[in-house]
Amino acid sequence: MRVSAPVRATVQRLTLPFLIFISALLAVLGKADVLLFDRVRVVLADTLAPVLQVAGEPIVTASKAIGTVKDIASVYRQNEELKLENQRLLQWQEVARRLESENEELRNLVKFAPQGAMSSVAAQVIADSGGAFLRNVLVNVGRDEGVTRGQPALTGDGLVGRVIELGDRTARILLLTDINSHIPVVVEGTHERAMLNGDNSDQPQLVYFQPKTPVKPGDRIVTSGSGGVFPPDLPIGVVVSANGMIRVEPYADLARLEMVRIVNYGLDGVLPDSAIPEPLSIGRSRSRATSAR
Amino acid sequence: MPYSRNRDYFGFVARMVPGTTTILFALLSLLPFHVPSFGSIAPGFALMAVFHWSVYRPDLLPLSVVFFAGLLLDLLNGTPYVGLSALVLLLVRTGVVTQRRVFSHRPFSILWLGFFGAAVGAFALEWAFVSLMQVHAMVPRPFIFQTLITTACFPIGSYLLALAHRAMPALSA
Repeated sequence: MRVSAPVRATVQRLTLPFLIFISALLAVLGKADVLLFDRVRVVLADTLAPVLQVAGEPIVTASKAIGTVKDIASVYRQNEELKLENQRLLQWQEVARRLESENEELRNLVKFAPQGAMSSVAAQVIADSGGAFLRNVLVNVGRDEGVTRGQPALTGDGLVGRVIELGDRTARILLLTDINSHIPVVVEGTHERAMLNGDNSDQPQLVYFQPKTPVKPGDRIVTSGSGGVFPPDLPIGVVVSANGMIRVEPYADLARLEMVRIVNYGLDGVLPDSAIPEPLSIGRSRSRATSAR
Repeated sequence: MPYSRNRDYFGFVARMVPGTTTILFALLSLLPFHVPSFGSIAPGFALMAVFHWSVYRPDLLPLSVVFFAGLLLDLLNGTPYVGLSALVLLLVRTGVVTQRRVFSHRPFSILWLGFFGAAVGAFALEWAFVSLMQVHAMVPRPFIFQTLITTACFPIGSYLLALAHRAMPALSA
């Protein structure tokens, strides 16, 4: 299409203010109407997941190579440590076996009905928000693998976060360090209830309902199970004191997540997907696409 | 605009290089780098690409592509403020284009210093915006860290972009 020179010049002059205005508007409105973006985001993440996964392979390989070199350097010391740990764990195994049989006897005694079975799915981290004000990761499992919103993600060490966004092949996990993460917890031993609030730093803050409760560095923090999103007693981290605030060092290494386990405990504490209304425009185009098929 | 005089000796593929590398760099910042002691904060690669092309070939990096790259980044990194990166990148491009005479035909250190300035501006703007929206001053440490790590990684990004830049005449043949 041919456009006259003055019109073209005007359009060119207006492009910058227009685009700046649009992006500022989106950024301000986005917080109010996240729903529309959520749908677009999920579709985009699902589409780009294979690309991100393939592109991430060399990085995973490289970091593994660096890890191997580091491991070789410390193999002797590690071996000594592992021997000690093994000894300790063997003692614990003994204790666990005894408790298990005792538990079983007691259960038989009271005719205890076990809770619903839990299942889990392993997920690879394919994208990291990487931003200064975001703590979330994208993983390569989604609705197709039976993941639902709100399910906790764990590593072998402890809780990582929960699923906040769900596609067919991807899920976004809000890490417990994110400013929007608020988890009901208890201090192990004292059973004092508290909230663990992220603030984008590496160590989330512990906020008490009763401020005079004594808490000391080294106390273990676990999920309380209130709210019905997380089951009780998932390990989160230990209390460390920093800058006068009570902070918790998570057990899981959140800065270097490679694999997480998304666990289904059969809880339904978050709103199901169906409870979230779909924005009209996208809903319509999707139903048209289905009928065309 | 003074830079539009020499714009037409590149073929279609070569002219796509600035836009494509900018979008690729935006995706690069999303990859999970598990490098020890790297932390969870990735360098802002998109910022490097926008800065580089705004200095050397702003005519081949249209505003719409900058906007699109920023939007893509925001949609994929799960931010509640979709559009913030687009805004920041557009402002950086505008600022750099007005100052590009300062950087052309100067040693790399001048360019690097200029990039540091752009990074400080970009991340300070992000910090101010997010703090305003959260009605709570955000912890500044992650932003300072991201400014520093992005500036530290700039030579790598700049080197890769210069390679792409040098390949452009070959691509138009």
